[in-house]
Amino acid sequence: MTPIMQIRDLSVGYASRRAVGLAVTSVNLDVEKGEILGVVGESGCGKTTLAVALLGLIESPGVIQSGSVQLRLADDKLVDLVGLAPRPLRQIRWKEIAYIPQGSMSALNPVLRVRQQMTDTLVQHGLSKAEAIERARWALNLVSLDAAVLDKYPHELSGGMNQRVAIATAVTMQPAILVADEPTTALDVVTQRSILQELVKIRDQFGTTIIVISHDMGVMAQVVDRMAVMYAGRIAELGLVLNIFDAPLHPYTQKLIGSIPKDTGQHLEGLEGEAPSLWAYPPGCRFHPRCSLATAICREQTPELREIISGQYAACHHCD
Amino acid sequence: MENILAVNLLQQVFGTRNPTYALDNVSFNMPATPSILNLVGESGSGKSTIARIILGLLHPTKGSVFYKDTDIFTKEPRWQKQFRREVQVVFQNPYSVYNPVYRVDRVLMKPIQKFKLASGKAVANEMILASLKAVDMRPEDVLGKYPHQLSGGQRQRLMLARLHLISAQLIIADEAISMIDAAGRVSFLNILLDFRDRLGISTLYITHDLSTAKYLGGEIIVLYKGRIVERGETKSVTGSPLHPYSQLLVQCVPVPNPKQRWKEPLTDSGELSVYRTPKRDRCLFAERCPKVMDICWNSRPPLQKPAASGPDARGEVACHLYQPHGN
Repeated sequence: MTPIMQIRDLSVGYASRRAVGLAVTSVNLDVEKGEILGVVGESGCGKTTLAVALLGLIESPGVIQSGSVQLRLADDKLVDLVGLAPRPLRQIRWKEIAYIPQGSMSALNPVLRVRQQMTDTLVQHGLSKAEAIERARWALNLVSLDAAVLDKYPHELSGGMNQRVAIATAVTMQPAILVADEPTTALDVVTQRSILQELVKIRDQFGTTIIVISHDMGVMAQVVDRMAVMYAGRIAELGLVLNIFDAPLHPYTQKLIGSIPKDTGQHLEGLEGEAPSLWAYPPGCRFHPRCSLATAICREQTPELREIISGQYAACHHCD
Repeated sequence: MENILAVNLLQQVFGTRNPTYALDNVSFNMPATPSILNLVGESGSGKSTIARIILGLLHPTKGSVFYKDTDIFTKEPRWQKQFRREVQVVFQNPYSVYNPVYRVDRVLMKPIQKFKLASGKAVANEMILASLKAVDMRPEDVLGKYPHQLSGGQRQRLMLARLHLISAQLIIADEAISMIDAAGRVSFLNILLDFRDRLGISTLYITHDLSTAKYLGGEIIVLYKGRIVERGETKSVTGSPLHPYSQLLVQCVPVPNPKQRWKEPLTDSGELSVYRTPKRDRCLFAERCPKVMDICWNSRPPLQKPAASGPDARGEVACHLYQPHGN
């Protein structure tokens, strides 16, 4: 199968006066058409930076240091989103790839009615006002919201409803790819489950490719097909979510899965130490200071992400 | 002293023309023996309001809170000072509790000065080191740093070091780990368990996350729209919940196992309308309940032992399904 998006050697950093700290370092990733791909990691691991880079929304002080993000359009043509001029990028955004931001409460403009927020982009993309409202109604219906929501302000809606509005806005143009950044953080569990269900429904109905960014292993286990585990700006492990939960390869993934609280009285060890800051990555494997398997090679050489078992990749010197 | 904390018939009403009952007759106790009590509910259930009242930050409309048999709103200054030392809070957001212009040492130094805990600088330093050790932190990792140099997990743990330092007796942890990373969460919970077992510190653990409550064990209270709908042992409530709302909660926890995925689509889509409750003598879950009966709209189910339970059962549920007249 030809991937719908190919990320090659993508490095994204933040520039200070003296240096550039790489929040995303040499990421290689193929996104298959119609899959739900999860990107999981601790805060500061670069997952949001990666999401923002996929949309071409990196702004100063952020810089794309190197790499490419090839997006396959409906007519099989490839465009590189990195370095694309603002105008063609605007044409692609929403229509081909749309973003569901983290914390919809703050992403929606408090002084505009939902109607205006939802139709603005559509009108920008050349629809008439009436068509735009028709689309907005259709999209709201898709996420189980009543069209009456159009006349409301964000503060009149609950957190879950706002999140649905954000999803509806993203799907109005029926994009090929949706990037959802922490779509259910700060929502209670019942709302979380029903929002995640909406995302799966959108994929099943339209074949939309969805990239879900989250720190929650439970969310990963429930909805994604494949999962990329990020640590300190790099992908530590990549594979089918079933396989990774079954037999995680990378020591970091093992710790991450091992520290999920389950039952009473079952003592778990947390992961000691802190993830390195992007200004002071350790040499070699970035996980080595916290890793119990670390040896000399881990302190010197950066492990490449390689296929260990069919379809399951890990970046570790000790995975064989 | 039978209870370290006794909360009696708390009622908190916001607004007068359209009164919202943030809390509606909530009562519970925490025993004098060290324990962990989980308080679970979705946003708007009133769990943070309870925390604010217990901390004395909010006067309830009705009802009372007793800490070690004394009303917490007593005016006696010496008692108040003691209360403020013994009952401590860990808030949700580890980014907003620190003053960014001071080094983090200050949150440890200040209470020592305020409560005159140490006779000199050397003793003070000794105490700080001991408290950092109690929460498994290395002094060189934190002392002398500014808040922005620490991770969320480190900052929350430092708050626990502070509680250790001033020998708190009751911790109110209000969504304390919802903003820290998965790997740091277990460490935080382990410290709470360790504090209970080793130092006799009790915790009121407020959360929306059933899985962490399950990890902590102890007792659990499930709140819905300002009312207790179910309470009992955490193990039995999370294992076989009785109230339809608790059942819904348990069904919606994202189980971290891709082999146990949610099967049937959820029919309940969460709160899709901003609620107003003009009528109070009914079950507030009625409109979402799959097992709703006529009586649910017309009478508030009392919190009591389910009709079918044995004499040893400790659980209580507020649902007409389990009342003698229910089924």
